[in-house]
Amino acid sequence: MTVTAPPARGAITAGEPIRLTSVNKTYTTATGPLPVLQDIDLHIETGEFVSLVGPSGCGKSTLLKIIAGLIPFDNGTVHVGEQAPKEGRRDVGFMLQQSVLMPWLSVRENVTLPFAIAREKGSHIAPRVEELLELVGLSHSADMNSWELSGGMQQRVALARTLALDPRVLLMDEPFAALDEFKREHLGLEVTKMHEDMGKTSILVTHSIPEAVMMSDRIIALGARPGRVVGDIRVDLPRPRSAAMIATPEFQDISRQVREALAGEDGSIS
Amino acid sequence: MTTIQTPPQPAVVRAETVPHTKPKDPLLSRTWVKVGLPLLVLALGVGAWEVASQTGLVNPITVPPASDTFAAMIDLSTKDYFWHAAWITLQETLLGFLIGSTLGLVLGALTGTFAVFRTALWPFIVAIQNTPRVALAPVFLTWFGFGMTSKVVMAAVICFFPVVINTVAGLSSVDANARMLFRTYGATTSQTFFRLTLPTAAPVTFAGIKTALTLALLGAIVGEFVGASEGLGVLVNEFNFQLEVAMGFAVVVYLAVIGLILYALIEWLERRLITWSN
Repeated sequence: MTVTAPPARGAITAGEPIRLTSVNKTYTTATGPLPVLQDIDLHIETGEFVSLVGPSGCGKSTLLKIIAGLIPFDNGTVHVGEQAPKEGRRDVGFMLQQSVLMPWLSVRENVTLPFAIAREKGSHIAPRVEELLELVGLSHSADMNSWELSGGMQQRVALARTLALDPRVLLMDEPFAALDEFKREHLGLEVTKMHEDMGKTSILVTHSIPEAVMMSDRIIALGARPGRVVGDIRVDLPRPRSAAMIATPEFQDISRQVREALAGEDGSIS
Repeated sequence: MTTIQTPPQPAVVRAETVPHTKPKDPLLSRTWVKVGLPLLVLALGVGAWEVASQTGLVNPITVPPASDTFAAMIDLSTKDYFWHAAWITLQETLLGFLIGSTLGLVLGALTGTFAVFRTALWPFIVAIQNTPRVALAPVFLTWFGFGMTSKVVMAAVICFFPVVINTVAGLSSVDANARMLFRTYGATTSQTFFRLTLPTAAPVTFAGIKTALTLALLGAIVGEFVGASEGLGVLVNEFNFQLEVAMGFAVVVYLAVIGLILYALIEWLERRLITWSN
């Protein structure tokens, strides 16, 4: 497969697998080489939801950006679907901690932006944008200025924009970290539900163990300096997930496993 | 990667907006108070001026009373030479503004976009920005003569730099995350420029353009003071020499009116073009 055909309109597109083999990454700094990722082997199945957790400096954001094709890696191989990572792939959606909305565009125009950059035109776009706004619960705010929205609503717009081109792979770099606890849990559960409905392959970078457990099928614990896999924990909680599961012994047990994997790794983890 | 110099801060702080401290007194948020209070200050100021001059507290020859100044304004408005002078000054201002801010936009865009220009030119831009450029007025008079050209050049030179500096500041204020987002969408260089960089820079750049318009009038008047045969600056000078101070005051009041009208126009244009706040 060389070119990914645009997905069928309105259809729910499933994910595609991600495979990393012996990936290394070293940054060159003023004080010498700084290894950030060491021999990362990671195989994520189609439709799987994987969280990357670990202390600051463990390279989890770097890893995500490598998969997004935003930064190069030194050696090893990376495949997203059947292709090497490359920026601008429409089958890969990337969501950041900051909503990064364009203040000169309305909420609706912000969600339409990916179509404009992809030079996609046609009558299917307008209904698709309305559908996305509906999905994130912002239909009534579509004509507002993006800077008039609260932080949580801005992040919902960013989510709709990330989903706009119906990517098969969803890469999220601490997307809820700037939100307050309540909004964070609420939006996390919504994204979990969307994942359960859509089956996109998803990678979430997060500092929060409960968030990782709630949302994921699998949690990869990364140790710091250099970043390497120190734990691979399966989350055998039934889906659909719900907030009530947090109190169950199973949830607590998985959280404990993640903490133990990260024990001894420097850094603050919540 | 080229070393990027300290990103220039927006050099222009607009002072015309009243600081938005929340009025504690609900009375201060009433429209009639908001309009009435400044009017009261105006009336008190003009009244004090009138009394001081009429009673001889200040010399009425050097500081003629407000009523004389007002009479002079009415008198001037009936004179063709006044309207001709105003037209000359207005042309100098607008031409200088257009030339200066266009060149400022071009140089600012080059300096803000290409690191090589920034590295090569930034020290000189800072140096010239901190030079009192009105000191060049006599030189321009020698080069371009008593006619309008030397004033247009003076106005252009004086309003060139705020546009350059604010354009550079605006272009360098694009958020790194926004650039990354555009990369994930595979945006081309021109898409990133027109859909991200330009709209991000626009509010800051426009603040520079607003300052430039105010400065252009200043440049034209300074140019006229140094040497000219026509224009409102010439009138101010001549009335003062003839000890027609009331007439001189009247011209200054009209200059203030011109400045305010120009400002209102550019403000209107800004509201039409830039409807968002960053």
